[in-house]
Amino acid sequence: MDTKELWNHCLVEIEAEVSKANFGTWFKETSLVKEDGGTVYVGVPNEFVKDWLSNKFHKLIMRVLRNGWEHTRNVEYIVVKSDQKQGKTEVLTHIKQDFSLNAELPLKDLYINKDDNLNPRYTFDTFVVGPFNELAYAATQAAVARPGRQYNPLFIYGSTGLGKTHLIQSVGNAIKEKHPEKKVFYITQEKFTVDYINSVSANRGAGNAFKEKYRKYDAIIIDDVQMVGKAEKTQDELFHLFNSFYENNKQIVFSSDKHPNFIPGLEDRMRSRFAQGMIVDITEPDYESRLAILKAKVQDSGIHLPDELVEYIASSINGNVRELEGCLNSIVLQTQMKGRFPTILEVKNLLKNSIKQKKTASVKEVVKTISDFYSIEEASIYEKTRRKEIVKVRQIVMYILREDFNVSYPLIGQKLGGKDHTTVIHSCLKIKNDMKNDMSIAQEIDQIRALFK
Amino acid sequence: MIFETTVEKLIKAIENTERVTARNASLPILSTILILVSGNSMKVRATNLSLGVEFELSVKAESDGVIAVDGKTLASFLNTLPKNEKIKLSLSGATLTLVSGKNRTSIKTHPYEDFPTLPSVAGVEVRIPKNEFVRGIKSTAFAAATSDIKPEISSVYLTTENNTLFFVATDSFRLAEKKEVLKKPVVFPAIIIPYKNVVEIARILEESSDDVTLRVTENQIAVVAPGIYATSRVISGSFPDYKQIIPKEFTTEVVVLKQDLLNTIKAANIFSDKFNQITFSVDPSLKKFDCVSKNTDVGEYSGQIEAALSGDDVSIALNQRYLMECLALIPQDSITLGFNGGNRAVVIRGVSDTSFTYLLMPMNR
Repeated sequence: MDTKELWNHCLVEIEAEVSKANFGTWFKETSLVKEDGGTVYVGVPNEFVKDWLSNKFHKLIMRVLRNGWEHTRNVEYIVVKSDQKQGKTEVLTHIKQDFSLNAELPLKDLYINKDDNLNPRYTFDTFVVGPFNELAYAATQAAVARPGRQYNPLFIYGSTGLGKTHLIQSVGNAIKEKHPEKKVFYITQEKFTVDYINSVSANRGAGNAFKEKYRKYDAIIIDDVQMVGKAEKTQDELFHLFNSFYENNKQIVFSSDKHPNFIPGLEDRMRSRFAQGMIVDITEPDYESRLAILKAKVQDSGIHLPDELVEYIASSINGNVRELEGCLNSIVLQTQMKGRFPTILEVKNLLKNSIKQKKTASVKEVVKTISDFYSIEEASIYEKTRRKEIVKVRQIVMYILREDFNVSYPLIGQKLGGKDHTTVIHSCLKIKNDMKNDMSIAQEIDQIRALFK
Repeated sequence: MIFETTVEKLIKAIENTERVTARNASLPILSTILILVSGNSMKVRATNLSLGVEFELSVKAESDGVIAVDGKTLASFLNTLPKNEKIKLSLSGATLTLVSGKNRTSIKTHPYEDFPTLPSVAGVEVRIPKNEFVRGIKSTAFAAATSDIKPEISSVYLTTENNTLFFVATDSFRLAEKKEVLKKPVVFPAIIIPYKNVVEIARILEESSDDVTLRVTENQIAVVAPGIYATSRVISGSFPDYKQIIPKEFTTEVVVLKQDLLNTIKAANIFSDKFNQITFSVDPSLKKFDCVSKNTDVGEYSGQIEAALSGDDVSIALNQRYLMECLALIPQDSITLGFNGGNRAVVIRGVSDTSFTYLLMPMNR
């Protein structure tokens, strides 16, 4: 006997016999739990419904059940706690325990230290070092060991989600720990700007208060400094702040998503000052680093995911550490809800949206973007000219088309003014070699790649 | 059905039941009150299928009967009558006629057969003093979450340990715990009761003077007192494990007169921002306990409060409303505030009173 079908059938009959309001109030959340020796057990949401069904609707229920299943001898009503809806809330409470009181209250605790704006969760202990960020890591270690002496300013750049904020906040936390007498302050460029605007609008002529506020610190960390390009006056203020810090040998740490040379609207005097200390970049993590990061995060989450799952995630998501973490979180959540590990297939489905689609762009778009980047005429790429600056750009176009968009050599040649495919192969190899020998080319290509994201 | 009683007696029962009737229910009978008369006793009953209540009072009855009548209509009408008048109710056909003094009115009734019964709860039975029960509820229910999204925290958690009864509620930003010590041990399974129901039960019990009897099962609780029967559903699920987040030690402690603090908060509130934020700073070395609030559209306030301070400096931003709500419930004249830095919860208690604990999270600035 299919109890579900039987009960659905009964509900249809009952619906025809009682008023809509009655049906909605008393029958909507009922279910047929089980049948045992002719006794049918009807699940109800609470005692009120139980009472009323057995007092008022018992005969009706009995009759429709007999119509559907002639062996019905008796009907019992039980309050069901574990029906679908209840089941969900139970699971939710379970998770909530982790997320709300157990976690939420303490989380708020940890959130931010108000004196220095630093988030104590970000420390070097939790920072995973790999080939992609070891240079940046080494530079920060030097800055922590001798703040303001060695690399000042320290300028860290890299695209979003690669751990810049983690790294520079760790610098702050480490300086605080190693040199308790030093006052550290962390601020995002955006907040700095807002703060400046407020100080201007709040009371005119009190610009000194703003200056004083920041100058009392021994080390300052400014996150997302690329935003300063848009705000002229703030740039002035930052310039003066920078000078006073620099002269007093106080450590300054910046983070940005671009190399200072490519921050739009940045004044030259700022640019040269950024370059005067140490500029390091964080690139995208390679497979091994991603795996190491994931393993560290898995350990934090307290759940032991099978290695093959972790390896699958590491191999299918490249680049952004934040995305990596997001995927892991959704898998951990799934595990908690279902009480078992998801299969590879389920993970695949789960990650479907997170895995970046293969980039698509027409050859024309690529040419336009790259020629815009070098500010040369788009048409000149297609021309048969051997002017040095054009040739270099054309080679980069070929390289990008081949490496990033998987266009075939002959097609690239054909599209770029009827070149032979061997010319294209040569160009790609040449750029590949140049990248190894000339950091500036590698950097430019990184910048260009960022434009296609 | 014909019976006679006084307006005062009737109105109390009707008002208390009327509050329980369901609002905007799809089933019209749920917005009615059921009145049963048999012998010289009258029962008044209402339910919204989450909470059900029943009052019993003695009346002078000429004949028995049952009616279901719209709760709001009846309650509003009774409220217009002078309290000390007598009132006579009689049913003819489907109409209830009320005569009181010079007033005469008739109200349409609903078919009473559709009125649901109240579940009778057969479970663990305990007797506890009413005052402790009501006080426990009143000291905590305000802190429950008002949204229905997390039913287990828009509730009051009731649990026992030896002869102590614990009442706890939280909305995850603050938490109130009240311990009531009873003369003898009570044991029943821990339950989670929706805060709306529990507040209503406390209100109904207010006038009662005797002990109350609780009957508890895993799905339902019934509260019984002379002439009163109330029964509420119980939330399934588990209440967060709150005990571990109540700090045992503090880095800073403040003892202050409640009235002083209240006055300062009231003043600060005028200038608090739309999030009700006010900032306290404690500096034991300078013997300073300051309260500051700032609203860019209104102005600024800063006040100093006399207090006994010990421990480290601390500065903390709190929601004024959350603070006010708990101060109103502390009977002692002076209170202690325990801090563990500006980012951790504040613990508020009455001086030398460990029965009530209020935990309040600071605001992020």
